Amino acid sequence: MAFQGYGAAPGGVAQQDPLYGYFSAVAGQDGQISADELQSCLTHSGISGSYKPFSLETCRLMISMLDRDMSNSLGFAEFKDLWQVLNGWKMTFASYDRDRSGTVEGQELQHAVASMAGYNLSPQAMNIIMKRFSSHGRITFDDFVSCCVKLRALTAQFQRRDTTRTGNASFQYDDFIQVTMAI
Amino acid sequence: MAYHSPYRAPPHINAPPDQSFLWNIFQRVDKDRSGVISDSELQQALSNGTWTPFNPVTVRSIISMFDRENKGGVNFNEFAGVWKYITDWQNIFRNYDRDNSGFIDKNELKQALTGFGEQQSYRLSDQFYCTLIEKFDRQRKGQVAFDDFIQCCIVLQRLTDVFRRYDTDQDGWIQVSYEQYLSMVFNIV
Repeated sequence: MAFQGYGAAPGGVAQQDPLYGYFSAVAGQDGQISADELQSCLTHSGISGSYKPFSLETCRLMISMLDRDMSNSLGFAEFKDLWQVLNGWKMTFASYDRDRSGTVEGQELQHAVASMAGYNLSPQAMNIIMKRFSSHGRITFDDFVSCCVKLRALTAQFQRRDTTRTGNASFQYDDFIQVTMAI
Repeated sequence: MAYHSPYRAPPHINAPPDQSFLWNIFQRVDKDRSGVISDSELQQALSNGTWTPFNPVTVRSIISMFDRENKGGVNFNEFAGVWKYITDWQNIFRNYDRDNSGFIDKNELKQALTGFGEQQSYRLSDQFYCTLIEKFDRQRKGQVAFDDFIQCCIVLQRLTDVFRRYDTDQDGWIQVSYEQYLSMVFNIV
């Protein structure tokens, strides 16, 4: 990314970016936003549209997904990346939420999620995901995002250890615990 | 796995409490007198020593462990198990909070999690204890309070149990397919 000193660059390109307005409204002196600031920021930006605003836990997850410097917060560049990803997911979700109910039905979710994973998901894998993220067979946008973030992170970790590309990975105990705790 | 489960606590520490004692407690906690203690009622009755509400995630974990009927709470019979479970954890916590600070720091956590009977191949790296505290410490003190300590141990126990199920030769390594991996982890995170 081209931006240095997120939030501190005087007269930089960053300040003309409309996203920068949302970001700087909540970022402090350090030019970084924490989970609750992210929640506030996303709510005000209206990215959720008519969907309910993101829960704090989902915001924490989103930060951990993009937090490259392990600061538990996002700089502006990371925020921009998040924005793009979120918009993509929102479009996917909305395309399946045909009745505008704010929730997607289990069956439709399968199609939506299947396109995210790098591997083919079998019916059993989809069942696992559905059980975990849906309530009464339906999933809200917030849970959908939570599901996508976790699936993305877990899949990336798995792929890193599937060196022979056979769909099998080896984990040492310590590694397994750390990877899972990091999510 | 090398950490304390309350079920390994020596029996003499907790003689079974008598029924009327437990019933008194139950009635006090069951504020709406429904005969079932809900998550919020249990949360209000528990203290984590920080003057902030007891971790609701921990409350949910505990209730779901003893709620045999999936009713979202525990009746008097199930409550006996809850009471013992929490008392055992209190003992463990007090035992490892060596400086009596009311919090368990990184070193005390390491002691608590690598107690006796540790398997060589199931060690956690030193640096990892920082990660654990970072993840579970809701007070942002760099140490874990009682409720967060329980939650940490519960999650670690679940992950270790599921890992062990796949580590058939007990060498600390597993090889899993993508789907097995998802099913292992998604049930817990």
